[in-house]
Amino acid sequence: MEERKIGVYVCNCGTNIAKMVDCDGVCEHAAQQPGVVLAKSYKYMCSNPGQEMIIEDIKEQGLDRVVVAACSPRMHEPTFRKALQTAGISPYFLEMANIREQCSWVHDGGEAATEKARALTLGAIRRVQYHQPLERRSVNMCPNVLVIGGGFVGMTAALELADGGSQVYLVERQRNLGGNVARVDLTAPYLDSARDMVTALITRTMEHPNIFVFLNSEVGSLEGYVGNFRAVVDTVWGDQATSNEYEVGNVVVATGYKEFDASRVTHYGYGKLPNVITSFEFEKMLRAGRVETKEGKTPNYAAIIHCVGSRNREFHTYCSRVCCMTALKYAHELKSAVPSCYVSDLYVDMHAFGKGHEDFYRRGSEAKTLFLMYAKGDHPVIRKAEPKDGCEMLIEVNEKLSREVIEIPADLVILMVGMEARDDSDAVARLVNISRDKDGWFIESHPKLDPVATTTDGIYIAGACAAPKDIPDSVAQARAAAARILARTIRGTIDIDAVFAEVDEDKCCGCRICNGLCPYSAIEFNEEKKRSNVISALCKACGACVAACPSSAITARHFTDEQIFAQIEGVLA
Amino acid sequence: MSYEPKIVGFLCNWCSYTGADLAGTSRIHYAPNVRIIRVMCCGRMDPTFVIKALHDGADGVLICGCHPGDCHYSEGNYKMMRRYPLLKKMLADYGIDEARVRLEWVSASEGQRFADLASDMAQRLRELGPSPVQVAQATDMAER
Amino acid sequence: MATDKLQIALYWGAACGGCDVSVLDTNEFILDVAAAADIRMWPIAVDGKYSDVEAMEDGELDLAFYNGAVRNSENEHIAQLLRRKSKTVVAYGSCAYMGGIPGLANLTNRDKILDTAYVHNASIETGNRVVPQPETRVDGKVLEIPRFYRRVYRLDNVIDVDYYLPGCPPDAGQVKAVILAIVKGELPPKGSVVGASDVALCEDCPRTRGEKKISRFYRPWEILADPDKCLLEQGILCAGVATRSGCGVRCPKSGIPCRGCYGPLPGVVDQGAKLLSAVSSVIDSKDPDEVDRILEGLPDFTSIAYRYSVASSLLQRSYQQ
Repeated sequence: MEERKIGVYVCNCGTNIAKMVDCDGVCEHAAQQPGVVLAKSYKYMCSNPGQEMIIEDIKEQGLDRVVVAACSPRMHEPTFRKALQTAGISPYFLEMANIREQCSWVHDGGEAATEKARALTLGAIRRVQYHQPLERRSVNMCPNVLVIGGGFVGMTAALELADGGSQVYLVERQRNLGGNVARVDLTAPYLDSARDMVTALITRTMEHPNIFVFLNSEVGSLEGYVGNFRAVVDTVWGDQATSNEYEVGNVVVATGYKEFDASRVTHYGYGKLPNVITSFEFEKMLRAGRVETKEGKTPNYAAIIHCVGSRNREFHTYCSRVCCMTALKYAHELKSAVPSCYVSDLYVDMHAFGKGHEDFYRRGSEAKTLFLMYAKGDHPVIRKAEPKDGCEMLIEVNEKLSREVIEIPADLVILMVGMEARDDSDAVARLVNISRDKDGWFIESHPKLDPVATTTDGIYIAGACAAPKDIPDSVAQARAAAARILARTIRGTIDIDAVFAEVDEDKCCGCRICNGLCPYSAIEFNEEKKRSNVISALCKACGACVAACPSSAITARHFTDEQIFAQIEGVLA
Repeated sequence: MSYEPKIVGFLCNWCSYTGADLAGTSRIHYAPNVRIIRVMCCGRMDPTFVIKALHDGADGVLICGCHPGDCHYSEGNYKMMRRYPLLKKMLADYGIDEARVRLEWVSASEGQRFADLASDMAQRLRELGPSPVQVAQATDMAER
Repeated sequence: MATDKLQIALYWGAACGGCDVSVLDTNEFILDVAAAADIRMWPIAVDGKYSDVEAMEDGELDLAFYNGAVRNSENEHIAQLLRRKSKTVVAYGSCAYMGGIPGLANLTNRDKILDTAYVHNASIETGNRVVPQPETRVDGKVLEIPRFYRRVYRLDNVIDVDYYLPGCPPDAGQVKAVILAIVKGELPPKGSVVGASDVALCEDCPRTRGEKKISRFYRPWEILADPDKCLLEQGILCAGVATRSGCGVRCPKSGIPCRGCYGPLPGVVDQGAKLLSAVSSVIDSKDPDEVDRILEGLPDFTSIAYRYSVASSLLQRSYQQ
């Protein structure tokens, strides 16, 4: 192999790396390696001056390979690739050593962390020598968009996209659009009518010339890749089933959430005590305009219990975010429906983080709602009252602030059930090839920097399918996803990664080991030549065929055997 | 200084590597013995990589991929899952202790799990002692 | 010795003799060779002592064919000797090339081998259980036998090798072609594998192949194999997918699975690992328990996958204490 001219850049990341790793030591070690012509450490490699440094060195020193030892390549590989490109060399001549997420942030300082940083950097130095200049491919970007889920979020995204000129296929499983928001009466904290908002959205969606709405429908399959997906939509009307295929360039997943099943919590007597109801059941009462007990009586006492299914180890450890404000809204609506009703609010912590929320909480306190705080592990206990008590139920709560055990009467108990991932979220994840976290929520590409994209290019997530969210956040995400898609659609084409598998026809013997291994059917067998071939546009570069090929006839571009061998040697040297 | 094993970790880009990054962003501390090499999918894992690492001085090899059913490439992890038992059999025939090579599933959200695995494997290998491969190969050549 | 004739030596190290026979399998061609060349040493066919070779000038031989692995100090000694005396050394056959069948001994160790051969073995009379020692004193004199090495080596572990001619044994036609190429001086770059194809056996195998999905493995005697269909697809472990062609597909044509004697394909570092990867990847199950059950059909997979290549595998030998 010809001698390379490698530049090594060790990022201090302020003190994030430098505090635990001797960056200058890593530099010195790197500088001694064959092929390395310079090694520098710098405060922030990703900053403009940092990138400029690399660009200048490439131009002036004639570097032909670059190693950046810094954060995770999942973070800044695109940044540095762009720098290489600006300097006029192939962006694939870069290799990053992850000495932050996988070193300085997880190890105590001292020699061990520095030694590991040296090893990871050396692995990158050895590997980068074998990097090839790869051509990125430009493919057409189909402007059509598939939106999965016809709730508030799905409709918002669809309208935004359709207004932008995209043809949108909006697929909803139910008979009606609207989703969970259509089940809600008023919204917190400004008490706007959810019904009005949803109705307006549905009308616009149904009437929009660029939106095809599929009700009673599901996405049967999604094949292809960004810019070029083929979606099959299955529709069932009565006993008639139809199936249609559509070309789409991008997909918005807006499948939302389902409410926590209160019967899983046994201690509140839900399902046994008739007047213990869930928040959604209460919404139904509010929408019907009749707040009453099962027996048809006007409640004198109502209690609202927070965090049902949320924020505990037994069910879900996360906060469902909307319940606190919804509970305050209920207190308000109860008071206006039944002014004589005493309302108690049993909470763990009052989360009032959003715009207008704290004010709303204050107004709730002023309206004489009785706030009782209970400890997470010490939930209130509900029992049926005796006739002499003059109420339906009695709630015993170990009040945390007063440290007193308090018993309160209740005719109606509202359980603030949290949000959880839908039962079929795993099937949806598989359908569109994205990941889920431990709670079943879809995982974003980056939680802060890239919250609506996913690790599969062309698939976006918006709203509560990614985690509990209120309406404003969900709407923002719907519009963000739409904006992302429109921005890409405007260009008409999209560059896709040059990383895919290739068969060397001279080495392939036509054994057909690889033929059945590709989940994307990217491998075809040419009967005439008796050779297998990878259709590069369909290949997603997993490398399963590469590992299985007993002739080493298949190469994984950018993950070649020799690159990985060199990296193994490097990290162990 | 006491003996510290060298472990090569092969992590899939989508789940496990992201999980290891999450351990980082969550500042979960673990043993520094694992040197991570990123592969797109654990289906890319040629058993040759494992024995190459052992040959080149690794005391252990940790392979991590997405949980079954959650592979970014739908089924890549099943390919590694099929290779693994045969690889273990082969390594056993070569007299390599089975604790030296592990296949584990680590999702993108399991930073803690990755950290625990890394520390656990390091501890296990500390107890087991250095891999015999490099020393024995060198001794053979010298003794001849 | 001033002569225009090609000066040749053939030698067997840790070998079965099959390689020597394969030279004879070139039939009357060998007579042409004998006419065109001086065969200076060939233990199984021609008289010629070690001392004759030792007496030669360095580089006096044009060509040495070394077959067999390197198992003991005598094998190595002669290999070194031939290297000094010969301009070109060819590792002849799978044992010299990769360690071959004797290399399987690397999956156990020297102590166990000696124990089985000389001590704990039912066919040895009690009182006669003696492990031979490299040096024995008899009547005040020292008798020496070659030292039995800790493990088996391939030829290029002990000397610089010019060419590798694989096969167990090499195909006679290929042997002929290689000898002719040497005579004509039409040799590829040093270090090349000669007398073999650069593509796997399947290329030349007449059996039909389809997509592979294996749900059960069979030992060859457990199944009446379809004579026209790929053996591996029928669940018979055939190493052809991971083995160079060049042998004439002798085994699969006779209904026997390929055993891998022609060695790995160019660019493959470890033949057994590649076969392992290929074969297990196409197991037709996603259930770990079922995969285990299917793999039970491959007892002693290692010895089959590395039948000829333990000594040239990355791990080289067993590390069992």
